Amino acid sequence: MKPELMTGNRAAASAARLARVDYVPAYPITPQTEIIETIASWVREGTMDSKFVQLESEHSMMTAAGAASLAGARVFTATSSQGLLYAMEMLYNVSGWRAPMVLMNVSRALAAPIVLEPDHNDVLAARDSGFLQLHSETCQEVADLVLLAYRVAEDRRVMLPAIVNLDGFYLSFTREKVVLPGQAEVDRFLLPYDPPRPIRATAPVAKGSAVMEGYLYSYFRYNLHAAALRAKEAFGEAAGEYQELFGRAYGPVDGYRLEDADYVLVMSNSFTTLGRQAVNRMREQGVKAGLLKLRMVRPFPGEEVAALLKGRKVAAVFDQNISPGMGGIFYPEVAASLYHLRGRPEALLPVVGGLGGKQLTSDEMCQVFERMRAVGKGTAKPDPMFLMREEELSKAKKALATAGVQG
Amino acid sequence: MILRVRFHGRGGQGAKTASRILGSAAFGGGYNAQDFPIYGAERRGAPVAAFTRFSDSEITERGFIFSPDVVAVMDDSLVADPLANPFAGLRKGGLAIVNTTRPAAEANGGRDDVTVITLDLTKRALETLGKAVLSAGIAAAVARSAGIDAEAFVGGLVDELKEVGLSDDVVSKNVALAGAVYDELKPVELRTEELPAKAELVPLAAVVSGDGSEDIVNVGNSASRHTGNWRVTEPVIDYQKCTDCMICYAYCPESAMSVGADGRIAIDYDNCKGCMICQAECPLRAIGSIMEDRR
Repeated sequence: MKPELMTGNRAAASAARLARVDYVPAYPITPQTEIIETIASWVREGTMDSKFVQLESEHSMMTAAGAASLAGARVFTATSSQGLLYAMEMLYNVSGWRAPMVLMNVSRALAAPIVLEPDHNDVLAARDSGFLQLHSETCQEVADLVLLAYRVAEDRRVMLPAIVNLDGFYLSFTREKVVLPGQAEVDRFLLPYDPPRPIRATAPVAKGSAVMEGYLYSYFRYNLHAAALRAKEAFGEAAGEYQELFGRAYGPVDGYRLEDADYVLVMSNSFTTLGRQAVNRMREQGVKAGLLKLRMVRPFPGEEVAALLKGRKVAAVFDQNISPGMGGIFYPEVAASLYHLRGRPEALLPVVGGLGGKQLTSDEMCQVFERMRAVGKGTAKPDPMFLMREEELSKAKKALATAGVQG
Repeated sequence: MILRVRFHGRGGQGAKTASRILGSAAFGGGYNAQDFPIYGAERRGAPVAAFTRFSDSEITERGFIFSPDVVAVMDDSLVADPLANPFAGLRKGGLAIVNTTRPAAEANGGRDDVTVITLDLTKRALETLGKAVLSAGIAAAVARSAGIDAEAFVGGLVDELKEVGLSDDVVSKNVALAGAVYDELKPVELRTEELPAKAELVPLAAVVSGDGSEDIVNVGNSASRHTGNWRVTEPVIDYQKCTDCMICYAYCPESAMSVGADGRIAIDYDNCKGCMICQAECPLRAIGSIMEDRR
C-alpha cells in the first residue's frame, strides 16, 4: 500500500477495519473520539462492514464488548483515561471470561487535577486486569500492533483480551507516515475469528459462571496467568509471520544503539522518540548511550529486559506515570527482572517525567544520561529524578500566585 | 535536511489547518512529514500552536518544537504575548513570517539574528474570503519560503480544505488567495543554528511546597486575564440609538458589559473577546463593529 499521512487515531480505526471487526461498541472521550467518529462514518457510508453502537457509558461499552466477544464476534473498542477507569470493573470480568477482544487506550493523564495530555497512569491502572498490553511509539506501530493484538488474543493458547496503547496528542493527533497493510495480506495473516464455544441457540453454553470457592477461583486465575505468559510465544510467532508479510519486525522489546552501550534508558510509548534523540546526542559526545523500549507490557518481557541490560554499567527506567508513595510503576518491574541476573547493571536509576504530557526538552533527556554517568562514576547516588525545569516551576508558582495560594 | 515549523495563531484562525496543509504539501512533494496541534480546552481567540516537520530522511522527532527553523505568527498581538512567546527558541538564522501591518523591524520579537517577512494576511482573507481565516495564506507563505513546489502545495491545500468540509467555491477562493501569496514570495535560503539550551532541572524538594491543593483563593480572577486581544472585530455602541435596555448585558457570555458612572451601558474592552453576540441580540441594532487594530 501507498504511504499516507495519518493520525494515530486514524491508524487505529484503519487497523480495526482491516481486521474486519464485527462489532464496535463505543463511547467518546478526548483524545480518543476521532477513532470512533472515523469508524462511525465508515460504517454509515458502507465502507466498513461492522455493527456500530454507541453505549451510555464505558462500563456498558465494555460489558457489551465482552459479551459480544464471547458470543463469537470479533470486537473492537476504544477509550481513554477516566473512561478506562469507569470501565475497570468490566476489564477484570472480560479477561476472566477469556474474551479475546481488542481495546485501544489513548493515554491521557488521570484527574485530579484535570488535563488532556498523556501519561500512563490510565493504562497502567489496567496492568493487573488480565488484558494483554502492547504500547506504541509511532502511528505505524499503532496500526501494526492492533493486527498483532488480534492474532495473539485469539490464539487458542492465549484467549485473552488485549489493550493497544497510544499516547494522546503525541500520537492520537499527530499525522505521520503510515503504510497500511493491504486487505488481502491482512486476510491471510488474520483469519476469521473461530471462537472455541460460541453462543449458539443449537448449542447452549453458560459463560462467566460464578465459582464461589477459592480453590476454583485459584484454578482459573492461575490458568489466566499461564495464558498471559504464553502470549509471548504466540506474539513471537505472529510477529515473525507479520514481518514476512509486511516487512516490519516487532519484538516484545526494542533495542536502540545497544551494541556497546554502557548507559541504557528504559522507556515506553511515544516519548521513546525523544529518548532516541537523547541517545544520538550523547553518542555525538562520545558517550556510549543506548535505549531499551518496552513494547509488550503484559506479559512483562522480563527475560528480554534482563538479556539486554546484562553487562551494562547503569540503566535508568523512565516512568511516564507515578504511583504516589512508591514512584514509577515500571521501575520495580525492571528491577525484579534483574534481581537474579549475574552481571546486572551496577545501578538502576529511577526517573519520573512527562506527567500530564509535560514537555521534555532534548537537554532534559540528556541530563538523565549525565546522571547515569555520574552514578556510574560514583559521584552521584541513584536517587530518583522527577523531571521539572526551572522555568516550568516558575510558571507553576505564578499560577499559584494568581490562585492566591502559597507555593 | 529537516525543517521544523511552529505556527502560532488564535483559535479560529486556522493554525492547525495551516500545519496540516504544510504537512500534506511537503508529503506530496516527496518529503517525510509530520504535523501536530496542541490544544486544550481552547476557545475561539485563545492562543494555539501547531507544528510541522518535514525532512528528506526519516523524522526522528516528535511533539512540541522547542527549536524551530521557521515560526509563523498568524496574529500580531501574539508577537509580544508572554504566554505564546512565538520567537522562543527560533534558531539563529531562522525565519519568522508574521501576519501584521507593521514593518519587519517592529515585528521581529526583538530578534535581529533572524529573517522576518511580514504580510497583511488578515486584510487579504477578509477581502477574498470575507472572514479572517488565515490557514491558506500562512501555509502558502511558509511553503514558498521553504521551497515546496507549487503543484505539491496546491495539492496539499485542496486536500486539507476539502477534509475540513469546505465547499468547492470556498476552496477555490482559498487557492486564489494562497496562490497570490505564494507568487509574491521567493524561497529563503535557511542556514539555521540551534541556540544553546541548557535545561536547569529543579529537585523534587523545590517543587514540594505549600499544601499541594488546587484551591483558588482569589476567586473571580478571570477578569485579570485580559482577553481583549482575542478580538478580530470590536463591538461599538451607538449611544444615539441605545436605550440601555440591558439585553446585551444579559447575553454577553464574558460579563464584559457593565453600567458606567453615567448610567449608560459600557463595554469592557480589556475582556471583550469580540464574539459579537451583543450585536446579534441588540433589538435596536445599536451595536456596530469595526475591525480591530491588531497592534
